[in-house]
Amino acid sequence: MQPNYVALYNEQFELPPELCAKPLALVGVSGLDTVNNAIHKTIWENLSSNRRVERSPVLFKLISNAQEFPVVKPKRNSYEWYIPKGILKKNWLRKHLSDIPSVIVIFYDLDWNDLQWNEKIIECASRVQSLRAALEGRNTRLVVVLLQNTPPLPAGEDSLSSERAIALCASCEISAKSLFVLPHGDHLQGYIVRLESAFYDLAQNYYHMEAKHVENHKEYLNKNTHQYLFVRHQFKMGFLNELKQDIHTAHKHYTYAYNKLLEIRIVDTNAMEIQTVAGFINYKLCKLMFTLNLPRDAISQFKAHAERFKSRIGFKELAFEHYAWLCKQYSIFGDIFDEAVRLGLPAVQTQHPGVYYQQAAQYAIQRKKSCLELCNNVTAYPTAPDPLEGLDHLEFYGQRPWRPGKLNMDNPDPQLEKKGIQALQFLEKQVAHSNVIISLYGLAVSQYKTYKCPRTRRYLVVQMAEEYFEFRDYGKALTLFTHMIWDYRLECWWSILSHILQKALQCAFLTATVQDYVTISLELLGKSITTTTEYKAQVYENLIRVLKKQIPNPVLNLPSYDVHTSLNLWKKVFESESIHLTVDMNSVVSCIETKARFLKDKYEADQNVVLEVFIRSTCPFLLRFTRLSVTINTSEYSSEFAVNETKFNNPNLTFESNEVKKFIVEFLPDSETTGKDMQINSINLYLGIPKECCVELSFNGNLAVSTGGIQEFSRFRRKSASHVDFESILPQSSALVVPRKSKLNVNYDHKQPALVGEWFNIIITVSNEDIAPISSVNVLVNLSEGEMDGSTEFCLNTAAKSELLPLNIGLPDLKVGESKSINLYIRGHKAGQRTVVFKVSYVLESDRSGTSISEDTLHVPFVKPFEINTKFSNTLFEDISKFYVDEEFVVTPIINCVSPWPIVIENTSLDFMPPVESIDESVHSQVKGLILNDKESGAEVFLAKVKRNCESPVNVGQYTIKWKRENGLSATSQLMIPGFEIEWIPLDIKLDLPAFGLLHTPLLVTYTLYNRSHQLLQLEVTVEGGDAFMFAGYKQIPISILPESFKTLDYNLYPVVAGNIVLPKIMITVPENNTEGPSLRQNQVNALLDRALPTHLFIMPQVKGSPEFPKAIQDENLLKVV
Amino acid sequence: MAVCAAIVGKDNSPKYFACTNPDEELNFQYKVLSSLDVVEEKLNAANKGSDMRELYLGILYSLETHKIYGYVTNTKIKFIIVAESTNTALRDNEIRSMFRKLHSLRA
Repeated sequence: MQPNYVALYNEQFELPPELCAKPLALVGVSGLDTVNNAIHKTIWENLSSNRRVERSPVLFKLISNAQEFPVVKPKRNSYEWYIPKGILKKNWLRKHLSDIPSVIVIFYDLDWNDLQWNEKIIECASRVQSLRAALEGRNTRLVVVLLQNTPPLPAGEDSLSSERAIALCASCEISAKSLFVLPHGDHLQGYIVRLESAFYDLAQNYYHMEAKHVENHKEYLNKNTHQYLFVRHQFKMGFLNELKQDIHTAHKHYTYAYNKLLEIRIVDTNAMEIQTVAGFINYKLCKLMFTLNLPRDAISQFKAHAERFKSRIGFKELAFEHYAWLCKQYSIFGDIFDEAVRLGLPAVQTQHPGVYYQQAAQYAIQRKKSCLELCNNVTAYPTAPDPLEGLDHLEFYGQRPWRPGKLNMDNPDPQLEKKGIQALQFLEKQVAHSNVIISLYGLAVSQYKTYKCPRTRRYLVVQMAEEYFEFRDYGKALTLFTHMIWDYRLECWWSILSHILQKALQCAFLTATVQDYVTISLELLGKSITTTTEYKAQVYENLIRVLKKQIPNPVLNLPSYDVHTSLNLWKKVFESESIHLTVDMNSVVSCIETKARFLKDKYEADQNVVLEVFIRSTCPFLLRFTRLSVTINTSEYSSEFAVNETKFNNPNLTFESNEVKKFIVEFLPDSETTGKDMQINSINLYLGIPKECCVELSFNGNLAVSTGGIQEFSRFRRKSASHVDFESILPQSSALVVPRKSKLNVNYDHKQPALVGEWFNIIITVSNEDIAPISSVNVLVNLSEGEMDGSTEFCLNTAAKSELLPLNIGLPDLKVGESKSINLYIRGHKAGQRTVVFKVSYVLESDRSGTSISEDTLHVPFVKPFEINTKFSNTLFEDISKFYVDEEFVVTPIINCVSPWPIVIENTSLDFMPPVESIDESVHSQVKGLILNDKESGAEVFLAKVKRNCESPVNVGQYTIKWKRENGLSATSQLMIPGFEIEWIPLDIKLDLPAFGLLHTPLLVTYTLYNRSHQLLQLEVTVEGGDAFMFAGYKQIPISILPESFKTLDYNLYPVVAGNIVLPKIMITVPENNTEGPSLRQNQVNALLDRALPTHLFIMPQVKGSPEFPKAIQDENLLKVV
Repeated sequence: MAVCAAIVGKDNSPKYFACTNPDEELNFQYKVLSSLDVVEEKLNAANKGSDMRELYLGILYSLETHKIYGYVTNTKIKFIIVAESTNTALRDNEIRSMFRKLHSLRA
């Protein structure tokens, strides 16, 4: 056997590179010295490199002067006696791809004005001639490109060049169209691109002619003997059209070729060849259809192709060859599909390259199977003669080396045939099938991942892992298996999971991976795993063995060689001192389930935290643990609490099948945990003996995956016999540690409601009723959220400033039973409720020095102590609604008490504000010392006048009340008293009138009229007496009052009746048409008279006898009048 | 005739599984599970669009050997039927009626 046979054998299933290469028009380049000539080198680089999409589809090839081209076969005039020996010749494709150029370009350095023109033209012609001779019989186009230093002149202007061009064409025997000029100055790239497209045109033309040429053979062919030739010619035309880049025509010819191929009767001897060629043509067809954007056609072509050949196994002894071919077909189609997708074809979930890779993998497996079946007995390469002699230089694709070129009619030599088969079987045995399968699975997996098929992908990975297993790469298999388990577990496909776990367990055994071995064993022992009890017993026994550091018994059906290796591995593992494994059980649905809960969601800092841990074993056999502990996490640290640590081998940790046990963990939380969350981080169960082989199983206490099987029905299931209903336990994995509850007695002494404006006193009394002395006692005072609007003040001492919130009041240390009071003052400036929050914290002087906190809230309603109304009146105590300049008026503030507590008015004052001023020089409060109860009022009067007019209402002044509640602290309330607008009129009038008159006694009254203006005031005065008086004085008089002066009118009145008598009525009229003087309207005058003059006077009757005057009248003034 | 029928719950866990050849059960389980990829995708697409009236999902996978059909109830319970690819007598309508029967049996 020749050593390269294996490689050749593998190659025969691959597509030949010449078939897969992108067909590009071949253009030969001659006359460029790329080594020595820099200009030539640049030109060549411009031609050959930087071939982007927009450049013409041309492949340049350097041709030396001595290049030899494939010899042209003698022309055949008749096919009558010609019998083809095969379908496709192996050398043809390569010949046209890379050996026979469609165009040869001869570069030659020649300027039109070259001095040695005649010599050079001869040399150029000879070059052309020598190439033409070398290409004898071919239709390759020859083109001459002159490399020139000078840029060309516009056509027609250079007679020398056109003349010489004609001469050159003539001597080279080329047409004028085949002569080009390339100036190698500027814009080289541009020139080259244009040249290139000219070459491409020529090349297309050449390939067109070539295809025509092949087509012309058709008429000579006959259908009986030349079936192969029909295929061959159509294939050639297809390929030539591809070179021409005419893919539509190429597709047409390939389709013909494929159909012609199907017409050939398949027999054992040609089956291989036909399949091979069919694969080639199918490849070309599918690829072109994807390029033509006909993906559906490509897929259906491929499906039909695969379907057609699927059952054509050919030689039973070489069935693997058939499967290899099928596998290749699918994987190639997958590649083409994938390429099309990468170029922008959209694929869908059910139709994408992965589907084909997957099928390819299936056939690869079949190939492997049939290889195992057929080649097992072949142990040696057959003896001479070598049936595979000449395998590397067969003339046709897909032929058997031991009968090359034989026609299908011939009867093969059975002996030779047998040897050939044996040789192939021997070679097949060398193939690394698993690698092929695994890499195909790999391709499929990545495709399925792209097309959102996680489950299919998982299935493929499992299959891949199984292949690794068969390939005896148990480590990789184990990794893949264990990675895939999770999702099957999540979706509860238990039988699949059981299957994978069993395989994985074998892998773990064979690789002596203790960790995985234990984990998988525990999972296999779980109740949801659907294996036989015997199997579980075996797993259980092995698990116990491992825990005792004994090598587990191998499971049946494992390759004995590997078992032996693994036993050594196990030995090594157990040689080490001690094995300590930690298994994260959260992602495993094992035979042990745990739940843990805090009994409360809040624990006080000095309370014992109590945890319940439930453990259920669904293992069908007895499980014994050595230790149980719980890890608790807070944000800062974690601590572990063991259960029953003191009693070693505690029988409580032994579980019968389906037994549920409850354990209690109690501990005191660390003082630092106060205010923080505790979390059950893990429940740790220890299997095995410490220092020997110990497995720590770590659960988080929440079952991530339901093991209950059909969840919906779990309610209807009968309760299990065990006394704890495991399913119904709700885990509570976190709890808050709150500060210790305060044992202080805090008393708040205050008298509600508080009054707005006063310092409201709250006496806080803290008494220590705890078990030990306390220190660091603190009262934190704050307002509740939303009330911090600045309308409330706090202080500890009313003399001092108010304090900022939150107010922290420190208290001295208190012994047991001791108490301490503090005064807190609150002042509110608005009525309404305040919520004051008191937080009392202290540290108990004991071993557990945690802080204890209590919180109280106090609702303090604030009410107004009083309301103030103000009345304004004129000197006659009649209500007014306007002030007049220089006219006196009376201000009467009335304090209406609305406080539930009696209020003591300490003092009041009214500070007038300009333009209002007091009439009296010193004013004393008239309500000072008054005690007002609820709904009582106190009023006082102030006389005032205004100095100047003002159109808008003015403020009269600030009214200040200093008050307190009885036994309370003084408070001051101030308020602004609003007044009216002020009017000015030029006239004022006053009436001097005694307090009363006496019947039949004349009395003198004087009217004084003032002119306040700077102008003369002229008025008409009329006085109308009544029945009650007789009077003396002017009845009607026009008067003139000088500016800023006054006039008096005196009248003597003689009352004739006693009682409250109407005074004579004075009327003042403003003369009409009086344009001089200040503006004064009649209605203003009338209003003035109404408000300024009294209308009545009390007239006393004459004394009869000698009456005794009441005290009130015994006044000196009064007596004088009398 | 179908060779395998399965009922899969809302959470994609198997609720019922039956096939004519018990030896092949594991293989069929893998196939059915894989076909759930397509079901999920179809349901996702349907959620975005109009409301689902058609419960029958049609053919999910057409493999070399088997064809897999799907059906989803309003409560997202999935019914899967696997038929052999060679069984050309089986029409779409028959598959539909098979599903409907399965649905009413389960209900």
